[in-house]
Amino acid sequence: MNLFAISINHRTAPVELRESLFLSEEEVRSLIDKAKSGLLKEGLILSTCNRTELYGIPADSSLNHPLLQKFIVENKNTLKISEENFQSFISRESLEHLFRVATGIDSLLIGDNQVYKQVKDAFRISEEMQFAGFLMKRVFNAALKAGKRAITETAISEGAVTVAYAAVQLVEKIFSNLSKKSALVIGAGETGEIAAKHLIDRGIHRLTITNRTPDKAEKLAIKLDSSFLTFDQFKNHLHNFDIIVSATSAEDILISKKDVEAAMKKRDFASMVLMDIAVPRDIDPHSKQIDYVFYHDIDSLNIIVEQNLSKRKAEIPKVQKIIDEELDSFFEWYNSLQSAPTIKNLRDHFEAIRTEEVEKNINKFSTEDREKLEIVTKRIINKILHHPTTELRKVNESGTGAEDAVTKIGIIRSLFGIDKNKSDEEEK
Amino acid sequence: MKPVIIFLNILLPILYFGTLSVYFYDFMRGEKKFFNAKRVLIFITLFVHIIYLFLRTSEFSHPPITNVFEIFTVLAFAITFSYFVLELVTDIRGTGPFIIIISFIFQLISSLFIQEQVVVKEVLKNNLLGSHVISALLGYSGFTISAVYGFLYLTLYKDLKKNRFGLIFNRLPNLEVLERLSFYSAIIGFILLSIAIIIGIIWLPKAFPDFSYLDPKLIGSGLVWLLYGIGILSKLLSKWKGKKLVLLSITGFLLALLSTIASNFLAHSFHSFY
Repeated sequence: MNLFAISINHRTAPVELRESLFLSEEEVRSLIDKAKSGLLKEGLILSTCNRTELYGIPADSSLNHPLLQKFIVENKNTLKISEENFQSFISRESLEHLFRVATGIDSLLIGDNQVYKQVKDAFRISEEMQFAGFLMKRVFNAALKAGKRAITETAISEGAVTVAYAAVQLVEKIFSNLSKKSALVIGAGETGEIAAKHLIDRGIHRLTITNRTPDKAEKLAIKLDSSFLTFDQFKNHLHNFDIIVSATSAEDILISKKDVEAAMKKRDFASMVLMDIAVPRDIDPHSKQIDYVFYHDIDSLNIIVEQNLSKRKAEIPKVQKIIDEELDSFFEWYNSLQSAPTIKNLRDHFEAIRTEEVEKNINKFSTEDREKLEIVTKRIINKILHHPTTELRKVNESGTGAEDAVTKIGIIRSLFGIDKNKSDEEEK
Repeated sequence: MKPVIIFLNILLPILYFGTLSVYFYDFMRGEKKFFNAKRVLIFITLFVHIIYLFLRTSEFSHPPITNVFEIFTVLAFAITFSYFVLELVTDIRGTGPFIIIISFIFQLISSLFIQEQVVVKEVLKNNLLGSHVISALLGYSGFTISAVYGFLYLTLYKDLKKNRFGLIFNRLPNLEVLERLSFYSAIIGFILLSIAIIIGIIWLPKAFPDFSYLDPKLIGSGLVWLLYGIGILSKLLSKWKGKKLVLLSITGFLLALLSTIASNFLAHSFHSFY
């Protein structure tokens, strides 16, 4: 199979280079337009914060990997990128790489199921741009199937692998229902925002944000549809929160043990979770000595992250097995797209229909007519199949390119439902 | 029928051990490999157990409450049955091994030492006594489960405080759920023990001429009942919660255990039949 692929990713290039090649949806669409005019017949462009990849069936035999690399690099004017920053694949390797990406085992964060959605979106764009033909549609359906199987049949995406998400996972080991709890996020920076978003995703009842710069807190609160508190006021309200996540860049302790003790007394020692994900720490770690106070800092959250990453790594062989199965299944289908087996399958298919109908109606004919019935029905089938058989033989002889032949044969197989019948028989 | 009873008596600890092993395997591996199989297995175990109890009752013409080892097998059944209902209602399946192990121990001891007791005191054949003992046993099985969940609460609480993220952290439900399970089991236990006490107070003085309110088992049960009553009331009035409440549940269970041992094996009263 003549499927080319190039990839720049976390293994081949530092973040600055990956960033410089990142393509927005608009850029992807414009690049597809360019690729369609003479470079590729069909394909797909995937661009995320950690990778930019191009897959495609060449328009002519002169295409090679350096040409594809040049095509992408020139488009973005990122001259610092060299050939070593790319991985190149062809045929089964391209497909295997795509499957690895879709299943998340090629990601920087192993098992990241965001990438599955991103592959799906890339495929959607390709389809909308008429860049996904018969073959590519099959390729990407197979990739998405592998991705889905990896998520449902293995634990590759289970457990938190970021500190912010680990904090939420920990909170859920204390409280059963976040929809009845309130949370305060101290710090409106990137980490604070991620933690706040995770809490919202988990259905937190009330979210409040505070920040030294009030404008930033207000802006984030509006963005997340939550409330905000001024920085000089938040300590007086600690007792109102079941969960406090602190992620500021403050040099000193913001919340002392005394503050926590006072808050706990006011809330009649109802459980309180303190997540200190700031470095240096914002909350006095001695607060953990107070009953029903669950204090965790970045080190303890990192333990959870490391544990989950190890568990995900242990799942890789299972995912690889799924990838191998899906690759085998794809190539079994692909190899069936040859003239000779298709002619045979087509004839078998028609013969099966003929036999079934003759058997059903045989009693309506006299004994002497039954032989004639066999001859006449066989002759009809032969006449119907004569032209398609001749055309199928021509497909391979015409030399219009293997991918064209495969497409034509594939359409015939799909038109007569040959593959469907085969899979039905296998299921039986 | 006796060979069947003997066979089931041998089979039951094996079944409990099998169920325990499957629950334990799932807990350790966390793969949910036997997610539904273990529920089927626990159901089969309970089904076999109830047939065994019926066969014994029918064969020996009295409910299986006439000696310690008969009580143990009923207790094993009651604990697993209560857990099974709880698992069905809450769909929390990770705590099974900690409860089924208790049933297994009770059933193993019972199977090893139980005897055919055809001749029993007439009073032990009374239906009211049957209701009294069965409700008391179900009540105590509620307290047992409550104590187990209380113990699991304390373990997880400690692990969370000390940043230990091992099996307990990964497999157990959260603290609020454990506290709730412990509390609900205690309420069920308390209601059933109350029924047992009410039947006892009405019927025992009529049945036993030497009846005394100072009987050690009565005092023990009264104390257990009082302790759980105080705990439940405090929780309902939002005075006690969390650690305090589960510690009370564990204390109540230990008291119930001590009172049973003391009244059955150490003291002699009208309330001891074996």
